[in-house]
Amino acid sequence: MNKNLLALAAVVLLAVVAPMVIPISIANEIIVIAIFAMATNLVIGVAGLYSFGQAMFFGAGAYLTGYSLTAGGLSLVPSILIAIAGAAALAGIVGAVIIRRSGFYFMMLTFAFNQMAFYVVLVWSGVTGGEDGMAGIKRAPVGGLDLNDRSVFYAFCAVLFVASYVILRQIKKSPLGLVLEAAKENPRRMASLGYSVHGAQLAAFMISGAFAGLAGSLYVLLYRFVPIDSISWIMSGNVVFMVVIGGMSSMVGPIMGAAVFVWLQGLFSLLWAQWALLFGLFIIFVVFTLRGGLIELFKRVARIRRAGEAHHG
Amino acid sequence: MNLVAAQIVNGLAIGMLYAVMALGLSIIKGLLNVPNFAHGALFAVGAYVCYTLSTIGAPFAVALIGAFSGAALLGFLIERFGIANLTGGSYLLQVLFLFGTALVIEQILVLIYGTTGVSLVPPAMLGGAMDLGFMFLPRYLVFCALVGAFSIVAVWLLIEKTRIGSSIRAGIERREMVQCLGIDIGTLLTLGFALGAGMAGLAGGIALPLLGANATSGNDMMAIAFVVLVLGGLGSLYGAVAAGILIGVAQSLTTLVAPSASTLLIYVIMTVVLLIGPKGLFGER
Amino acid sequence: MAEPVTVLEAIELTKRFGKNTVVDGVSLKFPEGRLHAILGPNGAGKTTLFNLLTKDYPVDGGEILLRGERVTRLRPHQISRRGVGRSYQITSVLRELTFFENVWLASYRADHAGAPGLWRDFRAHWATAEKTRQVLAELGLEPFTDRKAADVSYGDQRLLEIAVTLATRPEILLLDEPTSGLSQRESERVKQLILSIKGKFTIIMIEHKMNVVMDISDDVTVMNRGKVIASGSPAQISTDAAVRSAYFGL
Ligand SMILES: Nc1ncnc2c1ncn2[C@@H]1O[C@H](COP(=O)(O)OP(=O)(O)OP(=O)(O)O)[C@@H](O)[C@H]1O
Ligand SMILES: [Mg+2]
Repeated sequence: MNKNLLALAAVVLLAVVAPMVIPISIANEIIVIAIFAMATNLVIGVAGLYSFGQAMFFGAGAYLTGYSLTAGGLSLVPSILIAIAGAAALAGIVGAVIIRRSGFYFMMLTFAFNQMAFYVVLVWSGVTGGEDGMAGIKRAPVGGLDLNDRSVFYAFCAVLFVASYVILRQIKKSPLGLVLEAAKENPRRMASLGYSVHGAQLAAFMISGAFAGLAGSLYVLLYRFVPIDSISWIMSGNVVFMVVIGGMSSMVGPIMGAAVFVWLQGLFSLLWAQWALLFGLFIIFVVFTLRGGLIELFKRVARIRRAGEAHHG
Repeated sequence: MNLVAAQIVNGLAIGMLYAVMALGLSIIKGLLNVPNFAHGALFAVGAYVCYTLSTIGAPFAVALIGAFSGAALLGFLIERFGIANLTGGSYLLQVLFLFGTALVIEQILVLIYGTTGVSLVPPAMLGGAMDLGFMFLPRYLVFCALVGAFSIVAVWLLIEKTRIGSSIRAGIERREMVQCLGIDIGTLLTLGFALGAGMAGLAGGIALPLLGANATSGNDMMAIAFVVLVLGGLGSLYGAVAAGILIGVAQSLTTLVAPSASTLLIYVIMTVVLLIGPKGLFGER
Repeated sequence: MAEPVTVLEAIELTKRFGKNTVVDGVSLKFPEGRLHAILGPNGAGKTTLFNLLTKDYPVDGGEILLRGERVTRLRPHQISRRGVGRSYQITSVLRELTFFENVWLASYRADHAGAPGLWRDFRAHWATAEKTRQVLAELGLEPFTDRKAADVSYGDQRLLEIAVTLATRPEILLLDEPTSGLSQRESERVKQLILSIKGKFTIIMIEHKMNVVMDISDDVTVMNRGKVIASGSPAQISTDAAVRSAYFGL
């Protein structure tokens, strides 16, 4: 109970303090991408489903919001809701086809479907803008709030970020979360206890899709633009990377992973136009060094310190 | 009618490319059980090696051998110094490593060759078309299908008829056997990965005069190869070959009626097969 | 006296792995409330028979009737939800979870018919937690409540395996060699446990240990090479010539 409150306080504090210490636009991108990373942790970390197609849902949210706001002429809140529902529905359809495949197949299939989504966006350029993306997105005011004000928009995103954290953490600790953890280890036993393992996994996949869609939607509002990169498989790989470097054992890990990712991306792109190369090298470096994620690194340091204290005391 | 025949030949040629890609993936999957997310980047490496060798005047055959060898060498390095050192940890780390490697390879290609992409005119001998009386058959398509078939047969011979091949096969089918045969499993995995990578490179080289190349053009190929692998069923090495050809021909024929739907068709086929048959078209498992 | 109701019935059940027919046209009736032991040499197909009855494996031929309902095509979780609980020969507790969590998952499923909840902390499902503690207490496992299953002895894991199976509150209990790998004392404990629940459930038990089988079972079936070679009371079975040759090698 205490631990829960403490983690929540830390997350709230992070959301409040971040824009004071780093540029608000970067802080904003961090909390938006963090929603995406937490959503992904639900499938990868909690359910053990290695999805390499998460950008499909992020991108679906992004394009649905972009379309609703421009050609659709809808206002902001419905556009976000459509993005969430649409991404969840897409996850439901894709999931229904592939959830029975495990491990290797699941990874390949999520990737393949991601590539299909990318292809559809590319070809259907009349609607999506193809390679050029979708521009001309405006942030209409919501209930008297002027979202064009950077701080107001940040606060709007921050509330959704904290809410996403609370919901996803609750789900992780809920019966569904425990069923998923258990099924990751021994699906056959879970079935013999009477749980529909595929049902639980599909639910997780859809919930993850919904939050990825929310993240994509906010991302579009942040930049007032839908880049085609938002649905590319690189984005899928990146978010897996965030979850892995952050650590999968809690929902705080992916937030840290997202922060590192966004911050590094900014840093590298300042250094060199070819920043993706640096980023690739960084991934390789990290894979070899931080095998348990940042959280594990902190724990290791803590353990060493504790051992040191025990030794002295 | 002629159009249909032409598209079938075209489909056979493209299908052979898919099959070569997928067979490479299949070998890597069999031995290391990882989806090779660098397969697309290795395809691009093959294409660029082929391009570079051709522009400095090497014969096309040499350029193709170079495409295979370049990618195989890279594959060797990726396995030996990367994956082999990541076996203790989480499976995800190996996959992420391959993802990072793909990014690095693609970006290095961009650095050297730029983003515009390159193309190559097939050598004179392979250019133009043969007149079969009822249709014109582009020579390069025939060449493409033949080289694809030839390399698949070569791999088949290697795996079925040679000592190293039989240990690769043993490594795929029963891991514990290999140790009994006294073969160093580490070396085997490295060689298997290099072979799979080389096939991606070869596919890239063959595809160059047909499709051109840029740093990221391998990703579509990789996605299709994944689909082909799923369709072929992962139980058998050679299911991928049949599935590749089938997909190529189906895709090519769709071009006649709905050109922009032809790539989508691949995914539609995949979805249908996944829904009705849990084992893929030719798989055992 | 009226015939007891048949709760579970196998009709000509068959399973093949490649060319081997591992379960070969097995027909068996399990009457309600009795303890039915299945004997047979290694590789006789006993575990495979269980895997068919619970649908862990697809059936190649024959039918399964559960209280008269044809369940041959159902999925394992659907069989479980119809009141069939099983333990595995190879301990299959969730090693990364605690004793509490292992048993909790089973109790929760017995409490909730639908999909698992996704909001309230699982520990805050008080009624389920209470039942979980009860089951742990009944089997003398409270000291392990918060221990990870991977961290305890094999014998305690076997007990947990049974606890989990009981916690699903089944009507039919399939126990696959519940005493395998246990010491004399631990086996005795499991035997007493089974005796204490006998009559409350229909129990089908695969067991190698003769003394256990002969002491506590009501009916015995002997399998060899995928076929039933004898069925009857423990006394009949111990004198059956076919059984003696197949099983005791006499
Ligand atoms: N999944 C499987 N694939 C292939 N063969 C199998 C499989 N499961 C069991 N078998 C084979 O079926 C036969 C029967 O196995 P089973 O486990 O049912 O025997 P059992 O009677 O339970 O033996 P034991 O007393 O050793 O537990 C064995 O020859 C075994 O090798
Ligand atoms: Mg057995």
